[in-house]
Amino acid sequence: MTPQERLESLLAHNTLVVAGGVAAVGVAAAVVGCFGVLRRRALVGDAAAHATLPGIAAAFAITGRRELWVLLAGAAVSAIASLGAVTLIRRHSRTRDDAATAIVLGVSYGAGIAAISGLVARGVSGSAGLEAFLLGSTAALTLEDSLLVAVISVAVLAVVLAGLKEATLVAFDPAFAAAAGWPVGWIDAALTALTASMVVAAVPTAGAVLVTAMVVIPPAAARQWTDRLPPMLAVAGLVGFVSSLAGVVASAVVPKLATGPAVVLASSAAFLVSLGVRLLRTSRRPSGMSEP
Amino acid sequence: MLATTTVVADLVREVAGPHLHVDCLMGPGVDPHSYRATPRDAGRLEAAGLVVACGLHLEGKLAEILERLAKRKPVVFAGEAVPADRLIPVAEQAVDPHVWFDPMLWRHAAKPVAVALGRIDPDHADDFAARAEAYAARLEQLDSRLRERLAAIAPKRRVLVTAHDAFGYFGRAYGVEVVGVQGVSTESEAGLADVNRLVSLIVERGIPTVFVETSVSDRNVEAICEGVRAKGGSVRVGGRLYSDALGEPGSGAETLVGMLEHNVRTIADGLVSP
Repeated sequence: MTPQERLESLLAHNTLVVAGGVAAVGVAAAVVGCFGVLRRRALVGDAAAHATLPGIAAAFAITGRRELWVLLAGAAVSAIASLGAVTLIRRHSRTRDDAATAIVLGVSYGAGIAAISGLVARGVSGSAGLEAFLLGSTAALTLEDSLLVAVISVAVLAVVLAGLKEATLVAFDPAFAAAAGWPVGWIDAALTALTASMVVAAVPTAGAVLVTAMVVIPPAAARQWTDRLPPMLAVAGLVGFVSSLAGVVASAVVPKLATGPAVVLASSAAFLVSLGVRLLRTSRRPSGMSEP
Repeated sequence: MLATTTVVADLVREVAGPHLHVDCLMGPGVDPHSYRATPRDAGRLEAAGLVVACGLHLEGKLAEILERLAKRKPVVFAGEAVPADRLIPVAEQAVDPHVWFDPMLWRHAAKPVAVALGRIDPDHADDFAARAEAYAARLEQLDSRLRERLAAIAPKRRVLVTAHDAFGYFGRAYGVEVVGVQGVSTESEAGLADVNRLVSLIVERGIPTVFVETSVSDRNVEAICEGVRAKGGSVRVGGRLYSDALGEPGSGAETLVGMLEHNVRTIADGLVSP
């Protein structure tokens, strides 16, 4: 590509549309993800992401339509059901968090793949596009798709910021919050539902397999810079925003570079830089002191 | 007689005529690249007296089973009868398997099928050979009809924009430039640069129509149309083209001849009008 072509590609309609949608998802997913990372439940988002697949397949099989909002409605139902299943397994069996999450992730992912490949193998007309949700097809977002995921992202962000005080308490000290009379169970459920909604909005931009990176990596990077929640949310949101744009720009100027993976690589780079800076800062401090 | 894809089954039916019954493993609208054999398919392959496949790695996930089967019973790889120097290489040691899009190449596939059928049913061997020759002649006539039809498109506009590059042989045979969004495999994801490059190409050359395929996702095509409109161009999505599978019975595209005529009619209708 010549420099002229690169510039044109950067300012093209499709690039702007994708950039808008992906940046909104990047910020909101990063902010919501902070709570999951702090509560050591980062993989819950991954289970929800994989659980979108059976919902997408079912929504298509029942309605025969493939507009994004129809498929995402199905995805939301199955993602929330999967998180309910994680909670139930945790509460009523002798299985711990990580194993419960892994069980639900595996089962729902298997069900999703089986349903989608079943539809495709039967040659159901229009089912070919469903496979794209596995790895995402970021570059194929239309204006309508992009607006839809941006609206979900802004709504999730608004709810999180409105309930920031409650969410903070539950994230840092659930025992104290419960003792002080807060409805910890409900707040917990609300945070989980917000994570699921965010994952559903992120699936068309990154695909079911990579969504977890958008929810986990920016908070992990932000954690290297600060111990307090408000700055952590801000840094995570910034990392999510910048790496989304960096990935979109890279994919627009480098031929044959898929957009979703480029976004994830950019946020991983941000995490490595953050980690490096923190290690440098700690090693320069006088001995005997360490990060709290 | 068991054929793998609808395209191969059509060829075997043409050669076998009324003498033998031909079944088909994959139905219409199925992508043979990603088709996985079920245990029932394995049973059908075991039970068949003769198996006819395309070969050239079209039946990606079935290829290994077919090769093992070939050691025990007659298996014909019809597509591999095409002269090797006419195949389009796509990667190291791999060729584009979509040879039926050029009838002048596909006519080579009739003879080995006739020979194999003759061994199964020697009484009708002469008839099979005659039918194979007649079919090859019909493909030659088809070739000149298609050529005539496509000549109506202005050379500048002879560009086929479609979801994946299944039309390499078609493009070479009829002087049509083929531009795919995804590349030969249906499993790779397009980047933004690829989408934008196609949008610019469509606007600059004034291409009025892009095409979707029956067995491949069209999400990318929708995004490209939107990009073209935003640039002030106008483009529409043309009719569906058949690529890896023939149409349902009664669609008019259930034979290779009907399918190629359908495709060329769709392409000509899309690219000739302003």
